Amino acid sequence: MRFGRKILAVLDRAWSEFWFQSSPTSPLEIARIGVGGALLLHYAMATPFLFDFWGEGGWVPRTVVLENTESPWIQSVFFYFAEPWQWVAFHAIFLVCCAAFMLGWRTAWVKWIVLVGQISYDYRNPALFYGVDKILACLLFIMCVAPIGRAMSLDRVRAVRVAKRKNLVEILPQYDSAWAGACTRLMQIQMAALFFYSAIGKLRGDDWWNGDAIWIVFTTGEHYSPFVLDVLASHYWLSNVASYATIVIEIAFPFLIWQRRTRPYLLAAAIFLHVQFAVLMGLFYFSFVMVMGHMSFVRPEWFARLGQAWKRKMGDMEMIYDGKCGFCVRSMAWFLAFDGLGQIRIRDFRSDPSPVVSDAQVEKALYLVLPDGRALPGFEAYRYVVPRVPGLWWQVPFFYVPVLSRLVGHPVYNWIAANRARLSSLMSGKNAISILRARLPEQSETR
Amino acid sequence: MVSKRWHGRLTYVAMSAFLAWHTAAMVIAPAPDVSAAVQALRVPFQPYLTLFRLDNLWDFFAPDVGRGSQFRYIIEDKSGNHHPFKPTEGLNWFHPSFFWFWSWFNAVIANPEIYADSAGAYLCRRHASLHPVSVIMLEAEAGDFAPEDELAGKRPTDPEFVTVTTVKRVECTGR
Repeated sequence: MRFGRKILAVLDRAWSEFWFQSSPTSPLEIARIGVGGALLLHYAMATPFLFDFWGEGGWVPRTVVLENTESPWIQSVFFYFAEPWQWVAFHAIFLVCCAAFMLGWRTAWVKWIVLVGQISYDYRNPALFYGVDKILACLLFIMCVAPIGRAMSLDRVRAVRVAKRKNLVEILPQYDSAWAGACTRLMQIQMAALFFYSAIGKLRGDDWWNGDAIWIVFTTGEHYSPFVLDVLASHYWLSNVASYATIVIEIAFPFLIWQRRTRPYLLAAAIFLHVQFAVLMGLFYFSFVMVMGHMSFVRPEWFARLGQAWKRKMGDMEMIYDGKCGFCVRSMAWFLAFDGLGQIRIRDFRSDPSPVVSDAQVEKALYLVLPDGRALPGFEAYRYVVPRVPGLWWQVPFFYVPVLSRLVGHPVYNWIAANRARLSSLMSGKNAISILRARLPEQSETR
Repeated sequence: MVSKRWHGRLTYVAMSAFLAWHTAAMVIAPAPDVSAAVQALRVPFQPYLTLFRLDNLWDFFAPDVGRGSQFRYIIEDKSGNHHPFKPTEGLNWFHPSFFWFWSWFNAVIANPEIYADSAGAYLCRRHASLHPVSVIMLEAEAGDFAPEDELAGKRPTDPEFVTVTTVKRVECTGR
């Protein structure tokens, strides 16, 4: 009895260690961003073919699909559409949801719409889908049950902003959970199972045993490449090596990917394999989605180390702002919410004057102080920060259009800085005059 | 009311049950249906696998690569003239439509009893300006192509390596 209990306890511990290790969602978030972007691009490019692919007068009428569907579990929202506007509306909503999924906006429910959409497109026209659609549904399902959107997302930005609005120095802790670890593990098992079955399937074929498989692939119409065929015909041993190497990688992957020492090599080999598929066979979409699936094997500490290295390379940045200006505090809260790596330090010159920049200077504009002692004012401060903080890269096009960015940016910034009291009152609903009156005694004191 | 401790335990059990279920589904779904045991194992998972589109074999280019076929068709107009088309030749390798069209053409070749009639109807509409009376769908099946052929300047699509057979002839209705 006691022995049985001991065994159960050991099994329970092993189960918990395998599945429920508290982990951040970063590997899943990378997969989310990649898969969301790939889906958006893919289905946006399908828009001109919407009715040909999935419409009633297209390649496969609904009746044909339903007549050849044996299972009642095969469902598609397109089965229930009758009017053309319904196709257009659903497609538009789906594209918006793909964009939101990629950006991590309202991820908790948007991810389910993306999954339902992907399955619906697949089942409405089974003649259309190929390898990538299979793996997409599997990855999307795991992402749906996972707590994604907690990092590298607009949802995270919103949460950090709310915390920063209360207190700008507040640091929202990184989301970690045992369930995130379990879902990352599920995605890893999915990728390992895929490689395992792909390998044993190939082992049953003569083309692979003979080492001719890669040569034959490039002679088929879909993957025909005169350049590759010329190279392989002159050096046929390359076809043998590539055929056997493909099987070796696929069969080694599910066994050696779990070990700490071998994981980097297997991951690099799998990514190399898919880059080859993309470049030589034209399987760009498939390869990209597969690489995103492999991101589940990237250890969160690798991301953390990469982030720290980036932070060190970019150097220390201190932003000096006016803590009594409501508009400035709100803007800083927004700005800092995108600084996921915590690269920017802040200083409120009202309570903690800077030894580098005088109060009079900061009265006119926000300042950025760099480790070498340089101090950049206003627009130039933002312009410096934007390419150095990954979360702000989306602003690069606004800040780096030659001539135009500075031509427009400086006057716009200066106007905002000059009118920040009025903007603060507009945003907070208070009267600007009351704020100015409240400030007058302070200013007379400083004089 | 469930205590906090029991709530935690129940959550743990529920999460564990789901993980075990989904892992079993991922492993069983692609297993070859060679034995009665595998077939029996699939039964409880089948609705789940089908509903969420998880039922995949992961048999990329397996067991053999296959020599491939090219879809072609001929539009027959009311004067009896034939207008041949090779729809895969104009496709852009870098556009996703490349694989969509190839997938569709392969589906028509592989399952003409399901897809040929609707494909024919679609092609009749698409080429309405030719006043088609019928569409003859063809499969250009590739043969063995050796490295020596490549070095001799030949191509896999040359007529000597291709066998063309009729997949189906579909009459254009409503002309």
